[in-house]
Amino acid sequence: MIHYSRFVLKNGLTVIHHLDENSQLAVLNLLYKVGSKEEDPNKTGFAHLFEHLMFGGTPNIPEFDEPLQEAGGDSNAFTSNDITNYYLSLPLSNIETGFWLESDRMRGLAFSQKSLDVQKGVVIEEFKERYLNQPYGDIWLRILPLAYKEHPYSWPTIGKEISHIEEANMDQVKSFFKNFYAPNNCILVVAGNISLERVKELCSIYFEDIPAQEIKRINYPQESVQTEARFQEIQSDVPSNLILKAWHMGDRLSQNYYAMDLLSDILGSGKGSRLYDELVKKQAIFSEIDAYISGDAEPGLFLIEGKLLPETSFHQAENAIKGVLDEFFRTGCTDRELTMVQNKTETNIRFGDVNLLNRAMKLAFAEYLGDIELTNKEINLYLDITKEILLSEAKRTLVDTNCSTIHYKSSSND
Amino acid sequence: MTRISKPSLSNEGYNLQFKPFEKTLTKQGVPFYFQSAGTQDVIKMELVFSGGIINQPAPGVASFTCSMLSEGTKSKSGTELVNALDYYGAYFQAKASEYDSVITLYCLSKHLMAVLPLLNEAIEDSIFPEKALNTLKRNAIERLKVNEQKSSFLCRREFNSKFFGNDHPLGISSSIEDINKIDIAQIIEYHQTYFLKGLKYILLSGRFEDSLKDKVVESINFSNKVSSNIIYPELTTQKGKFIVTKEKAVQSTIKLGHKGISRTHAYFPTFQLMNTILGGYFGSRLMKNIREDKGLTYGIYSSHETNSHYSLWYIESDLNKKNIEIARKEIFSEIAKIQTELVEADELSTAKNYLLGSILKSLDNNLSLSGRMKLILDNELNYDYLNEFKERILKATAEEIREIANQYLHINDLIEITVE
Repeated sequence: MIHYSRFVLKNGLTVIHHLDENSQLAVLNLLYKVGSKEEDPNKTGFAHLFEHLMFGGTPNIPEFDEPLQEAGGDSNAFTSNDITNYYLSLPLSNIETGFWLESDRMRGLAFSQKSLDVQKGVVIEEFKERYLNQPYGDIWLRILPLAYKEHPYSWPTIGKEISHIEEANMDQVKSFFKNFYAPNNCILVVAGNISLERVKELCSIYFEDIPAQEIKRINYPQESVQTEARFQEIQSDVPSNLILKAWHMGDRLSQNYYAMDLLSDILGSGKGSRLYDELVKKQAIFSEIDAYISGDAEPGLFLIEGKLLPETSFHQAENAIKGVLDEFFRTGCTDRELTMVQNKTETNIRFGDVNLLNRAMKLAFAEYLGDIELTNKEINLYLDITKEILLSEAKRTLVDTNCSTIHYKSSSND
Repeated sequence: MTRISKPSLSNEGYNLQFKPFEKTLTKQGVPFYFQSAGTQDVIKMELVFSGGIINQPAPGVASFTCSMLSEGTKSKSGTELVNALDYYGAYFQAKASEYDSVITLYCLSKHLMAVLPLLNEAIEDSIFPEKALNTLKRNAIERLKVNEQKSSFLCRREFNSKFFGNDHPLGISSSIEDINKIDIAQIIEYHQTYFLKGLKYILLSGRFEDSLKDKVVESINFSNKVSSNIIYPELTTQKGKFIVTKEKAVQSTIKLGHKGISRTHAYFPTFQLMNTILGGYFGSRLMKNIREDKGLTYGIYSSHETNSHYSLWYIESDLNKKNIEIARKEIFSEIAKIQTELVEADELSTAKNYLLGSILKSLDNNLSLSGRMKLILDNELNYDYLNEFKERILKATAEEIREIANQYLHINDLIEITVE
């Protein structure tokens, strides 16, 4: 059980307090409700680039990290399709430095041209290092536009292409900040051995007077139902052939989400899973195979990804996956299998909750999804899934016309 | 705009006291260390065995033996064993390190007694089927082929062979041929020598009742006869500049380093502080210069790895091939700078506070406390060493930093690897 209190400041900042009497640390987690899905399709990767600029200093504080490190703390951030999340932790005795820094950059940035130029360089290096110059690194850049034809989930948070990042300019930076970086578009979680009264007091000192802004949400299109199977072949200098299949699934609060998350464990997570047992061990068709979900707030993807052994053809590989899925459709899972994945889920949730920062992030994300109590009741949503629900959701989701497939072909295997 | 002044700091207000684990013995006399803490009823149990990569008869044997522990027992197939653990939401990982191997079990406290017999079975009754070994070998070869396309992998492999030596067990990285040559007899012998007889100690962390701990101690049934006297081979370091060629490479990696100083060395805390300033954190000189000022890389760090038998100091970065030369020049100029100029007071105090804060953070997660306990046991440190460390850090002066950099960083001793 994760205890919390929640209050909203006059400027619209939602604050969540989580007390942990055993900790010597304080954590501040700020979730800004903007992700790559609110980018202009011709200027992608911007939300993530902007995240880098949030560390580039303000008119008051030339550099974000330095005073934090001086206070014995550290910080980082991540950008997803849906949100941009900033977090810091530091010794409890210095918690005020955290409030000072985070409220300061919510007020305004220095908007330095040098910082923009340098961070563009850093992000371009990140793009190359992670997405271009790694074997299979561009697969995410390929599968998303195949699966999404309308919705902005069609590009990854790093962006569609490097040129979008190169072209980012200061006007864009300023208007993005003005539109999205406001207290009424943010969720602040304060966690540690600190009282609710003290948190309220610090919030009133540091955050209360930051003015709310009008947030102009971007009206992006929703994805139409996919009606025919999609396919793309890529040829590249990779050591082995790879197959990636993606099916559209339900949003983060739908029953389909919880069912498909459990199904991904039954089918393909670890040595005990069906795909691994059948296709890696018994049939020796793949060297590795996994099933997983993208985990987005809006309707996301259920994916199966496998590396083919040298002697396996794509045709064989496709049939083998189909065989495992068909077998599942025939009989569904056993009681034991369902209990197994539900217990695994409970273990993962409890281990995640060990860490103070994780608890803070989890509270922020549940609040973002619109139901903070999800933090504690999510396990029940997994336990509510029955064999029958699992089977019907699987049958509804894993159909060919809802699927996008990539065959990533090794040029050396010709 | 409201301007609020910088809050005052208190960096001495917190305590780096490490609370030692309690100790008891199993029936066979194996030391059993435990500590219950935190807010979640979870268990992490680590069994530390004396054999590691250093003891393996051929490349890959130690890690393959670890992987084979979940491939079947006298009464269960591999899948049955894993599913039996999965049923309780439990899993274990077996990992061979340089000088030891650790089997770690993760589960909810309420399931510990039900999963212990399964863990016991995996360790004691594994049967090592040939077919499973062939599957693991085949998959390892596929993974190796992918890794060999990554400049960071190629760079580390070359660096290790130069630092430890071509023939040293830690300097050899398995080739496809090495993997193909591993056979069941080697696995069985390694298992008998180092897993059936080599249990050094057990660590239990998480949150649990004392009665649960007693039941665990009662049911543990491993012997701890340590094999024989192990002679550790000497390092045969080959310094100098080496280039690994990679066709059509765009991404490159640079790694340079030499031996560091041991954890028990009097200057260890000051060396850590010097390394922090140079490249040990986001606010370090290397990061500021090469990432934040020049945008040449996504990240550059210097690190100091120490264990009971060697220590290694190195700088590593992934960057674009065309940026290698300029980054290299800047790295050398930062080393020269820390050896000749005094660190400014602000920079010194920031690094001190950051370093101490990061240790405080590591003490806050009760599952990571066992790692700290292991460090203490393996290096024979005293339980108060963190507070002594803190004292030394707080006292360190700019002169000492410069002195340590001069005494322990040597450009002429560097091993320098680039992938081009």
